[in-house]
Amino acid sequence: MKRSLINRSLAIAIVVLSLLAASSSFSLAQRNSNSANKDVPLREIMKLPGKLLAETKTPAAGGNLKITGYRVEEVTLPRSVTAEVRGQQVAVERAWRLTVTGGPFPVRAMPAVIWLDDQIVGYGIENETLSQITAVTFDGSLISEGGVVSLSYGENKDDRVTLSQKLQLKQGGGN
Amino acid sequence: MKLTTKTCTAALLLLFIIGSVQITFAQAPDPGTPGPLGFTREEYDFGDTAFQPSNFPGPVELRASIHYPTSLAGGPFPVIVLLHGRHATCFNGSGGQFLEWPCAPNHQPIPSYKGYDYVAEVLASNGYVVVSVSANGVNAVDNSVFDLGALARAELMQKHLDILKQFNTTGGAPFGTKFVGKFDLTRVGTMGHSRGGEGVVRHYVLNNSLGAPYGIKAVFPLAPVDFNRFVVNNAALNVLLPYCDGDVSDLQGVHFYDDARYNVPGDQAPKHYELVMGANHNFYNTIWSPSSSPFPGATNDWLSFVQGGNNDSHCGKGKTSQRLTEAQQRGTGLAYMSAFFRAYVGGETQFIPILTGDAPPPPSAQTSNLFVSYHAPDNPELRLDVNRLLNDTNLTTNTAGGAATQTALTPYQLCGGPAPQPQKCLPNQFNAQQPHTTPSARSPLRGLSQLITGWNDLTGNYKNDIPPTLGNVSGFQALQFRVSVNFADVRNIANVAQDFRVVLTDASGASSSVRVSDVSGALYFPPGETGPVPKVVLNTVRVPLTAFGGVNLHNIRSVQFTFNEHAQGGVLVTDVAFASAPR
Repeated sequence: MKRSLINRSLAIAIVVLSLLAASSSFSLAQRNSNSANKDVPLREIMKLPGKLLAETKTPAAGGNLKITGYRVEEVTLPRSVTAEVRGQQVAVERAWRLTVTGGPFPVRAMPAVIWLDDQIVGYGIENETLSQITAVTFDGSLISEGGVVSLSYGENKDDRVTLSQKLQLKQGGGN
Repeated sequence: MKLTTKTCTAALLLLFIIGSVQITFAQAPDPGTPGPLGFTREEYDFGDTAFQPSNFPGPVELRASIHYPTSLAGGPFPVIVLLHGRHATCFNGSGGQFLEWPCAPNHQPIPSYKGYDYVAEVLASNGYVVVSVSANGVNAVDNSVFDLGALARAELMQKHLDILKQFNTTGGAPFGTKFVGKFDLTRVGTMGHSRGGEGVVRHYVLNNSLGAPYGIKAVFPLAPVDFNRFVVNNAALNVLLPYCDGDVSDLQGVHFYDDARYNVPGDQAPKHYELVMGANHNFYNTIWSPSSSPFPGATNDWLSFVQGGNNDSHCGKGKTSQRLTEAQQRGTGLAYMSAFFRAYVGGETQFIPILTGDAPPPPSAQTSNLFVSYHAPDNPELRLDVNRLLNDTNLTTNTAGGAATQTALTPYQLCGGPAPQPQKCLPNQFNAQQPHTTPSARSPLRGLSQLITGWNDLTGNYKNDIPPTLGNVSGFQALQFRVSVNFADVRNIANVAQDFRVVLTDASGASSSVRVSDVSGALYFPPGETGPVPKVVLNTVRVPLTAFGGVNLHNIRSVQFTFNEHAQGGVLVTDVAFASAPR
């Protein structure tokens, strides 16, 4: 157990260090709150430890995508970086991961897109078992109590599948 | 059977609804017929992690199948490289599918690259070497990179061409020297499906940026995405668009054609697309097709991904469904891939009329319910642009330099192109219903500039004058344009085809007109009512100049569209030109 904890800490440290190394060119620019950014090492941010802000699960899978819930995590970046958030260049020190759970989600040509209300959180990245899709945003204002989480393939709003549970932040969560 | 008036009317109405009438004026042999050569299929495999694309978060396999004429004596042979699209990468024995690479222990790779063997076999039997590349390693992590894997796919293609070059020069495992001197890498064609479609376009650009070490003559994106808006110029292009695509349901791949048309002055390459009615996204790959594949993840994408798609009158499952079977759909892929590569890589020009729409779909296509569009090379002997309809100037002065005028048309404006044009031509319809203007995930570029117009009585007229110096059009085969019925314009009657006339007038004032419905079915009312359908796709109408009797084709002074066949209606138009097939 102790050994596995040490291994885990080591793994996290390696990820953080590699993120630090990559962050010399860590120029973040977002398009319409979408993490459409050439230089963001999303893969690494996906692996950083996060603080759980909200989570819900339902026993009955909803819709044709069989969505069972969502999870919101706050991720502290290894250093402050400049990012474009809602058209402004700002220093950010945190990212937020919004994960939709359920599936197995289809592997499609069109990317999964995760929304909060009518804002795109980001393009989704599937996990290996296709039971989760996660998007990353640097705009904490998107993470607000009561927000409606939805998922589409491509950016067509009208194709969204919406979760019945609204965003319910744990005490002290949110931005 | 006794043909009553009622029966005849019903039959005519059905023809209008299906919209598959395409009158043709040339014949061509069937390019999808197996050839005389025996062929062999082998594979090479350098391992799951043998390749690392630049700035990409995971390793990629170097694995491919190779179909080639068993007797290599006739070589070197032209080379066709195929690239599959995004799909689950691994599976287990209990029906589970996974997106991982390499596959976990007890999981096995899903061989998406085997899904085009039906094309490879026919091409190999006709004297081509066909290599189909596995790209599971790209699929596993491509959503983590900004371009969604386009460059990684391009680099993978280039790597395989490097491998083929080695086989062709010094030889190498596992084939020894068998292929030395047998590949003609100055004559290469590429086909990519889905994300692979953008991959082969990106590869064309990459290969050029490296000094064009391989002679890519023809690029065929099949049901492609176009997230990044790279463009193929100076190589033949063919995009295949399935009307009932449930995955890339906005048919964004039409941008490849639209963007390439006038992008490079002097571009000598022809451009084509086929809109295949009743076709979906997945059935072009046998591994992704539920009736043909033993692997998880195979699905009918229209039914699986389009909410309510089951009930759609065209793409669904009901009595009026026009859906193609898996075999029929692959027939269209086989016919048009074969025609395209054999014409533009192999130099078998007898197949070109199939690609211009001058010849009907060949029997191997297994359907005639498709529409062919064609853009001629930028060569004054092959194309005279009458009106490109690119900007507001073209509403009054056409590309040929003559006056553009209208009578009783409303609206009469451009849409879909760069600002200040409205971004969408049909402002209240979904993006997926208007492929030419659908936004791109990774590019701010706008879409196709089109004339949106309509008429309220039989006097509607759109006229383009031809300057006297350009009036000799006798050397061209056809007057052509792209057009779609605007399903959102209430002046069109739902499920009834539109019609109008094309009129040529010469310097003496003599005129001749041809009714569009006599030469093309492109004025069909776009079918369907669910999600991404109906949709406007502008299909080429080619009116053979031989159809215009009684006018002097050496001295034409105007081209008119007279909207006097139906009392009212609305259409979208672009690319009015005199044009001939490539030589």
